[in-house]
This record gives sequence, structure tokens and C-alpha cells, in this order.
Amino acid sequence: MTTTELSPASPGTSARPELPDDMTDDVRTRLGQIVARHQDHPDELIQVLHEAQALLGWLPHEMLTTIATGMGLPYSRVRGVVTFYSLFTTVPRGRHTIHSCLGTACYVRGGRDVLAKLSDTLGIDEDETTPDRRFSLGVVRCVGACGLAPVVTVDDDVHKRVNPNKINDLLERYV
Amino acid sequence: MSETTVRAITTADDLDAMRDDYLERTKDVTLTVMLCSGASCLSSQADEIEDALARELTAAGLSGTALVKHTGCIGACGVGPALIVEPDGVFYCHLKPGDVHEIVTEHLVNGRVVEHLCYHDRDTGQAVPAFDDIPFFARQRRIVLRNCGRADYGDLGEYIARGGYRAAFKAITEMTSQQVVDEITASGLRGRGGGGFPTGRKWAMAAARPGDEKYVICNGDEGDPGAFMDRSVLEGDPHSVIEGMLVAGRAIGARHGVVYVRAEYPLAVERLKAALDQARDVGLLGEHLFGTEQAFDIEIRIGAGAFVCGEETALMSSVEGRRGEPHQKPPYPCDSGLFGRPTIINNVETLASVAPIISRGSAWYRSIGVEGSPGTKVFALAGDIENTGLVEVPMGVTLGEVVFDIGGGILGGKQFKVAQTGGPSGGCLTAEHLNTAIDYDSLVKLGAIMGSGGLVVMDSDTCMVDVAKYFMQFCANESCGKCVPCRIGTTRMLEILTRITDGEGREGDVERLIELCDVVKDTALCGLGQTAPNPVLSTIRYFREEYDEHIRDHYCRAGKCSALFVAPCVNACPAHVDVPAYLSLVAAGRPLDAYRLIRQENPFPSVCGRVCTHPCELACRRGQLDEPIDIRAVKRYAADTAYESGAVGTEPIPGHRDGSVGIIGAGPSGLTAAYYLRLRGYEVDVYEEQPVAGGMLAVGIPEFRLPKSALQREIDTIRVTGVRIHTGVAVGRDVSFDDLMTRHDALYVAVGTQLSWTLGIPGEDLPGVVHGLEYLRRVNLGGTSPQSGSVVVVGGGNTAVDAARTALREGAEHVTILYRRRIMDMPADAEEIAEARDEGVVIRELVSPVAIEASDGRLAVHCQRMALGGFGKDGRRRTVPEPDADEVFMADLVIPAVSQFVDSSFTSPAGVRVTSVGTFEVDGTTSMTNVPGVFAGGDALRGPDVVITAIADGKKVASSVDRYLGGDGELWKGPAIDVPEPVLDDGDTREHGRFGMCYLAPERRGRSYDEVAQGYHRVDAVAESMRCLHCDRR
Repeated sequence: MTTTELSPASPGTSARPELPDDMTDDVRTRLGQIVARHQDHPDELIQVLHEAQALLGWLPHEMLTTIATGMGLPYSRVRGVVTFYSLFTTVPRGRHTIHSCLGTACYVRGGRDVLAKLSDTLGIDEDETTPDRRFSLGVVRCVGACGLAPVVTVDDDVHKRVNPNKINDLLERYV
Repeated sequence: MSETTVRAITTADDLDAMRDDYLERTKDVTLTVMLCSGASCLSSQADEIEDALARELTAAGLSGTALVKHTGCIGACGVGPALIVEPDGVFYCHLKPGDVHEIVTEHLVNGRVVEHLCYHDRDTGQAVPAFDDIPFFARQRRIVLRNCGRADYGDLGEYIARGGYRAAFKAITEMTSQQVVDEITASGLRGRGGGGFPTGRKWAMAAARPGDEKYVICNGDEGDPGAFMDRSVLEGDPHSVIEGMLVAGRAIGARHGVVYVRAEYPLAVERLKAALDQARDVGLLGEHLFGTEQAFDIEIRIGAGAFVCGEETALMSSVEGRRGEPHQKPPYPCDSGLFGRPTIINNVETLASVAPIISRGSAWYRSIGVEGSPGTKVFALAGDIENTGLVEVPMGVTLGEVVFDIGGGILGGKQFKVAQTGGPSGGCLTAEHLNTAIDYDSLVKLGAIMGSGGLVVMDSDTCMVDVAKYFMQFCANESCGKCVPCRIGTTRMLEILTRITDGEGREGDVERLIELCDVVKDTALCGLGQTAPNPVLSTIRYFREEYDEHIRDHYCRAGKCSALFVAPCVNACPAHVDVPAYLSLVAAGRPLDAYRLIRQENPFPSVCGRVCTHPCELACRRGQLDEPIDIRAVKRYAADTAYESGAVGTEPIPGHRDGSVGIIGAGPSGLTAAYYLRLRGYEVDVYEEQPVAGGMLAVGIPEFRLPKSALQREIDTIRVTGVRIHTGVAVGRDVSFDDLMTRHDALYVAVGTQLSWTLGIPGEDLPGVVHGLEYLRRVNLGGTSPQSGSVVVVGGGNTAVDAARTALREGAEHVTILYRRRIMDMPADAEEIAEARDEGVVIRELVSPVAIEASDGRLAVHCQRMALGGFGKDGRRRTVPEPDADEVFMADLVIPAVSQFVDSSFTSPAGVRVTSVGTFEVDGTTSMTNVPGVFAGGDALRGPDVVITAIADGKKVASSVDRYLGGDGELWKGPAIDVPEPVLDDGDTREHGRFGMCYLAPERRGRSYDEVAQGYHRVDAVAESMRCLHCDRR
């Protein structure tokens, strides 16, 4: 987690340029409302980031500066929190987010093979998004559905006892 | 969810009124359907089942009298979606929306249990309708999970009707703060989050601090992979946590409560939020609780994915909106915690235990569990186990009871290997710990920890180095980076573990790991780093040999570390036959080449195609999809086709080498060594005591499993290379061991096990008692007279089953096998057991003979009935005599077949060292005994084992002998065979089970010795070969 942002991550030098249409005026307005609700409570920064990320599925640079300014926090504090927690991302998400579980139960029931197959099929690695922005792929450490291992979540759907040889069928359900 | 009357609760009468409201609004209910709404079931269509239930109940006119409750997790996550129908107590599982109609119309309307939708016992296949009869539930004691699966998680009225908030009322209105602390201290409750710190002591320290700006934090950052009890409690019984926090607030004098929940648990957040709103609406949270000056309210803080936030100081940083980095203690949270105020942090399960302790008293709580660890513990059972899910058991239950009695044992009939507790901070418990009582202190002694209660069960296909690497990867990923020992130490350990699993381990790596572990343990800042070495130390402690095998032999016995092998089947085969290659050859219509390729590694394809125990098939990845490839049957097809074509030639011997090798024993191991040594150019003589070659294959396996012709052609193929086989020559009788030592430059002792263990009971020497091996030998050599009447066989191995089936063919009318353990624990091949029963052999389990007596010309076998006891080191249940339970079996022939041992006495003049049980002692690398030039292998080395291991030993010894005689140890196996590209499915593989082989119908077997398994037709063999997923290519 501390190592996910080793590449130069400041805007403009990022390997994946932000797409201009992500930050719309509507998003800006809603972000402003979120910040306003919490602006006197710096301890609620994590909740603010959760709400902000829900708008686009990721946190563009502009959002972070807006939050920092609005809550009266140094930008470094906001960015530091974002990079610390694995659920926050500054990389655009695909329309569907796939999480392959590598909790212990999933791991011993073949979760690693499932992840390898997903990565192979989609042509992307962990924490990447397909060029058509259809899918993002991530790893999650236990979603607490260990009785159903191995598990893959796609958006809010939990797919249980996933078989690597059935990955195509699974992906076809999401366009 | 039902309406509740909203009014402030300030007195006990108000609680009574809430209860009465609930009873009033449910008084017409005669049937309750408790639908599991745990996260696991919801992800398995439980919502559609709910819709179907509503529809069907309305259609059946039951809307008024049948109530659907949305309960928290029932616990049996592996069989969900599930529901319970009360008051009948019937449990339905594996439900599909389409099943609801039948349950409503049959059970709810007509009162008839729908058996096919009930839980089915794995062993008997019988339906077990009653919830209380299912072992998974019956053995539990539910305190923390008291409402999970029983009550509607969203119904405050029901929570109160079941006794809820009485403990909070009692603590706030009837007890002083000190009394509450004392009660919890007296209960002996220890922190259920993993550390096991006494809860009462923690509360006492915070209570002693002045002021009322204090905090109670509920730690719901359940990060240990494999643990999900906190999630289930928050989702299934949120009020129990709120009530526990109220009591804690009373105890330490706090006004503020915070529940910190992982963001990965959105459902828990949603339900907890709803419960908090309900509690606030009736004044159970807020100012003036129960009309007193006590105030308390709770807010939820959501994490954002950081394992380290489970550590209390890191958690507080996170609640404050910062990076979740831990800090040095002291100051302890009870002095300076959240926002610098006195704070206690308790885990969800701990807090859910509080209300029952206050209501029922500490003495009651102490009466459950064991001294030092009172109460119950919730375990999340997961991994390679039959019944996955949540179980709550008293502390002190044995690991074996949890894994086998409650958990139902290992999936797919495999062997138990370890149970991992405590996740990345914990360690593993092995088969020898199955009788260990589980509590905080016993686990620490074994190098594991209780942790939060995740219990991941792993079978024999688990590589322990890989497990250690997995947890280290987890810790390295989750290390916050603040302190050097954790940040760099975990990374260095991960690097070493990775190179070991990649086959690049170096001598001394294990010692380096241990040293790093010790340093990180001693110097890391917080619990994450201090406990990160535990899985490594624990796996080294119990499975050091697996580390050594990876480093020294580049071998992963579990077949997990894929850098070390071509395919799992090849890795699992002791002789390392290239299975995917010969499957490709058969699929390409080249069975003769397939046979040649097999024979390069194993000179007995025809034999192994019939009687091999096929470890390759157990490892076959296709088995995860539908069924493993029938590798043995394809091998047999290749061999049979090759021999029938008459084109089986011998490999030309590339050159003569000086040296003569003597081999004692013409069994599979001796002949294999002979074959490879002869091809290498040595003179080879094999000495065999029996009148025929083949060893156990010839005299110990009956004709109907392995026809003489199938064995003979293989021996002939070896003989024509120039190997000289001298049958009827007993070493020690016809020729002395010393003579052989002077006659040959090297000797290989491969005599197998020839002597039967006796039962050690009176009457074993009576006429009519014949030991198994002797019986099979007589029949195979044509020396027995037909048998009539009843035959009793004693034992559970292949020899016992072979003897039983042979006795039937010899004419016995009734054949009974007596076995002292359960049938499922019999070491004989499952296929053979099934075939024996098909033929009419009766197997009686749990009986042990104590005496044999002659009685009217017959034999009376007196037996003691046995009951299940603790667990043996191999994970099988031991048995103990059941008092006063005798049984007598009458027989005309009794065949004890319990095991065999080695007669190694003929080598003693030469001073060859043997073990106390007579097996030979050899160097693990060279297979040479203490006498230079004398090697040993096969069953003579291991005790009774399987054919393929004996063959592998023979091959290994051939290489060692070559090296001993001055060669390089490289065996000549014949010219390389070109293997075609396999035909693979496009895209996803379509499920398709095995192509079946023909078997002689049981009624046609009768007294015939015709081979039972009839082999593949070409079309089936080709088709079966094409099912191979070719793990070697992908």
C-alpha cells in the first residue's frame, strides 16, 4: 500500500492522463456540497474521500485540491491519506470493477489461478483498467465470504466458487 | 420488518411494554420462516428467494399466520441460501428460488417435510431435516451468536423480547460503574480480537481515569483473511454490539462510542446504522439513559482498506482522519487514546459477549469453557473443509471436534494437513494436534494464536512454504512502512520465500529466515510487524522437510509451486512419468509411442495401468472442474494396444559397462532397477525366492485385478534386455548374502515385506486360520482347494479386500470383512472397496477380534465392538473398546490380513543396519545402507507401500548404483519421442465427466477370475485423453 504510488504521480506526468470529461460541472457542484457538510470536521476526511470517490469511482487531482482547500487541510495531508488506504484510487476505474479475493480461504481454494486467468483474459495487471475502460482489476484480501471460496466480486455482485475455466462466461455478463 | 411503537424507554416497564408489543403483533403467527440474510446467502440469490416467499405465502393465504424473519447468518455459509421453518425446526439448504413453492405448499400448508431440500448427511446420504440433529449445529453453544439465525436483525422489538437491553438497564440503573467492571473482571472474559487481554482489566484502567470525556471504540476492522464472525454479528445482531458498548460506557464513564467498520462490509454498516437510529428513537442512545444522568451515543467510522488499522493505535489515527499508522505505547489508549482522551477498544465479539454476562452473571460465564479461557469462541471455518461457516463452541473443545465433528472433515476425501489459526499473525496446527483443547494459552504454546478466530483448514495439497509466502506477501503489502524492521524485514523475508518457491533457494536460507524472524519479532513497532514472522516460524517448526525439499531437491510435494514442475500430475507421480505428453500421443492416435514414452520412466505400464493407486489423478486440475482424467485407464489402453500390436521392442543397449549387479527380489522395485542398470550396460542377476518373478504383483494381487499375462509380458520385456532372473533361489538358504557380495560389485536389496503380522489373539494358530498374504500366495500359485461356507477376513487394507474377493471366487457363500475403524478410514483403494461390496462382500466396521475358538468343526471369531475415540497422528479417528459390547462371527475360514513386515535377517551376517521393525536404514540421497555397495529400497525400506513408489525407488537406486560403480548416474531410457502439440478447447472448457470404462457386471463375475475392469475402446481412450487441460502448456 505504501508502495503503490512510487511512479511520479503528480498530474500531467501520470502514465494514464485524466480524461477531460470526468470532472463535469455537476460533479464539481456535488463535491462542493460534500465538502461543505464536513468542512469543520477534519477528522471526517476519510468519510469525505469515500463520498467524493463515489462520484466518479476514482479521485482525480482536482478533487483532492478542492477537498484540501475546502476543509482547510494541507494538500499533503489529503494526498497522504489517499495513498495510505488501498480503497482510494487516483487511477480511473473501468465501468465494472472486478476484485479477485486472495484471502486465505480463497487462496487455498485456487484464488491465485482465478486472478491469473482474469489478468490473462483482460490483458491487464492488478490495479489497472482495460483500455476500453470496461473493466478494472483489483485484489481484495478477504470479503468475508470464505465459505464460498474462491470469490470474485464484480461491482456489487459476489461470484462464488469461481472456476478459472469459466471466466469468459462470467465476464460476458458485464458490458 | 414490523412497526414498533416509538416511545422513550426509561424504565423496566417500558422494556416490558416493547416486549409485549412484539408478542401482540406476532400472536397470530403459527409458522415462522427464518430466512438467512447473511452476506454469504445474499450473494447466493437469497433476495430472490425472499421475493418468491412473499409471493407464495400470499398465494397460499398464509400472509397472516406465517411470518418471514430476516435473520443474521445462520452459520452454515457453505450450504446457503438456507432457511429454518419454526416451530418444526426444519432446516432447508442449497435453495433456489424455484424451490420455495414446494416448501410453502408441502411443508407450510400440508405439514409435510420436503426431504430432498433438507440437509443430507455426506456419509449416509440420508436427509437430516431437524436443525438440532445436524452435527454442525448440535455441537455448538451460542452466546455471541445467540440471535444470529434466530431473530430478525432489523426488529428492535424482537431483540428486546428476547431479553435485549436488560443488561444495559441493569448496568446503568442498578449497578455502579465499579460493579460493572468487577463483574466483567470476574467473568474472565478475554479480548476476542486476538490478543486475549483481560477485558475487565482494560475497563478498570480506563474507569480509573478522571473526567467523562472518554471513548468506547468497537473494533470492527476485521482484517484477518479467513475471519468473518465480526461481520456476521454486526449484520445479524447489531443491537447486541450496541448494548455491549452501552455497558462499557457505563463501566468506564464514557459518553462517546465509535464503531470502526471496514469499508469492505457495506451491509454491516447499513444494518448497524439502522439499528443505531432505532435505538436513538426510543432513547436507548442519547442523554438521560433510562432516566439517569448517564449519556451515551455512538457514531460509525468507516475504514478504507488498511489491515494495520486493526491495531488499536493505528485505528485511532484512522478515526481521527489520518493515515492509519500505529504509534509507540505507552501512552496506552486508556491514558491517552482517541483525541488524547482515555479510550477503550474492544472487538465486536467481545462486546457481543458483554450483555449475557451482565444479565446472567460472571459465575454462569465462568462455568463455560476452561480455566484461563472462559466462555465461548466463534470460529470461522473455511478452506478445504466440508462444512464451511461460523460456529460458536465452548473454549477447550478439541481441534479434531471442530474440524471433523462440526466441520464434517476434509473435502473430497483428502487428508487433513493443517489448520491455520490467527491469519497472518498466527500459525498452524497439524494432525498431531487434533486432540489439543483450543484455548488462548494452549495455542500460544504450539506456536499459533487464537487470533480473531479464523480457522482455515488445508488438505494435503497445500504447500507449507507457499502458505508462509502467502502470509508474508500479505504482511509486506499491509506494512504501513513507519518502522524499519517491519517494512524492510517483511520484504527481505518475502524475497527469500519467493526464491525458495521458485526453485532458487540456497543452502542456509532457512537459517536466514529464522534469524530475520527473530529480529523483526523483537524490534517491530506494532503487533503487525511483531507477529508477521509467526507463519514462517510455525511452518518451519512443523514442516522443515518441505523447505529442504524445495531448496535441495527442487521438489514441491504438494504440487503448488509451479516453477518446480511441468504439471501437477507429473509432480505427484513418484516415477515422474510425463502424463500430459502421453495423453497428447494417445489423442494423436499414437498409442505405441505413448507406451514407449511411459516405459522410459516406468517399465511397468501394463501393470500400473491396472493397479496403480494413481496419485496423479488426485492432483489432476481437471478434478476441480468436473472429474480428473482417468489417467490409469489411458495408460492401460496404451500398454495393451502396444503389446497386442506385437511391436513392443527393446531399446538397444548403447554400450557395455564393467560391473555386475546382484538384485535380491524380483518384485517391481528389483526388476525396475535391473532394467535400467542393464540398459546402462551392466551385467544384472536377480534372485527370487518364489517360483515365479513379479514379487507381490505375481503372488499378492489376484488374477481378476491383474491378469498373469499382463504382468508376464512386462517381465519378458525386461528379461529380453539380458537381465538374468533366477527364481526359486532364497538368499540365506540357497546362497549366502556374503557369497552375493563377493559375486557382484553392488547389491540391491528389494525383498519387500513377506511376513504377515499376526493379530496377537488366542486361537490364531488353529487350523482354518490362514494369513492374508499366505492365502493369496496359495491361490495365485494354484495351491488352494476350493472353499465353501463362510469366510471372515480381518483388516482394512488392499490385502484384506483382495483376500475377501478371492474367497468369493474360490466358492465361499458369505464373506465378511471385520475392520476396527470406520469404513471411510480403510486404507484400501476406495474403488476396490466399492467393487468388493458390489460382489457381495459384507464389511463390518468398528469391530475388533479378541479371540478365535474352534466350535463344532467351525471357527468362532469373538469380537469386541469399538467406539470412536480421539484422533491419531494421521488424522484418522482412533477407536476404543465399547464396554460390554461383544459379537461373535462364525466362519469356516478366517483370514487375518492386518499388515506385513520385512524379513531382513538374511543380511545380518553382513552387518546391514535395520530399524526396530526390520526395515532397512539407508542414506536418503544415495539409498545405500551402512555397508558400502549394498543398497535397499521398495517396501523393504518403507514397509508396505504401493507399486509406483517401489518402481520409483528402483529407478533411483539404478542411478545411485551407476554412480557408485563410476558412472555419472544418468540413466539411458531410450531415444527422445516427439510429442505433438495438444488439442485444446477454445475459450472456456466445457464440463464433461470421465468417459466410462466397461466393468464386468457383478453378477457375471461369480467365481470367475476374469479381469473385472475391461479397459478402454480406442474411441474412449482418445476422447478421455483430450479432456486433459494441459497444465504443462498454459
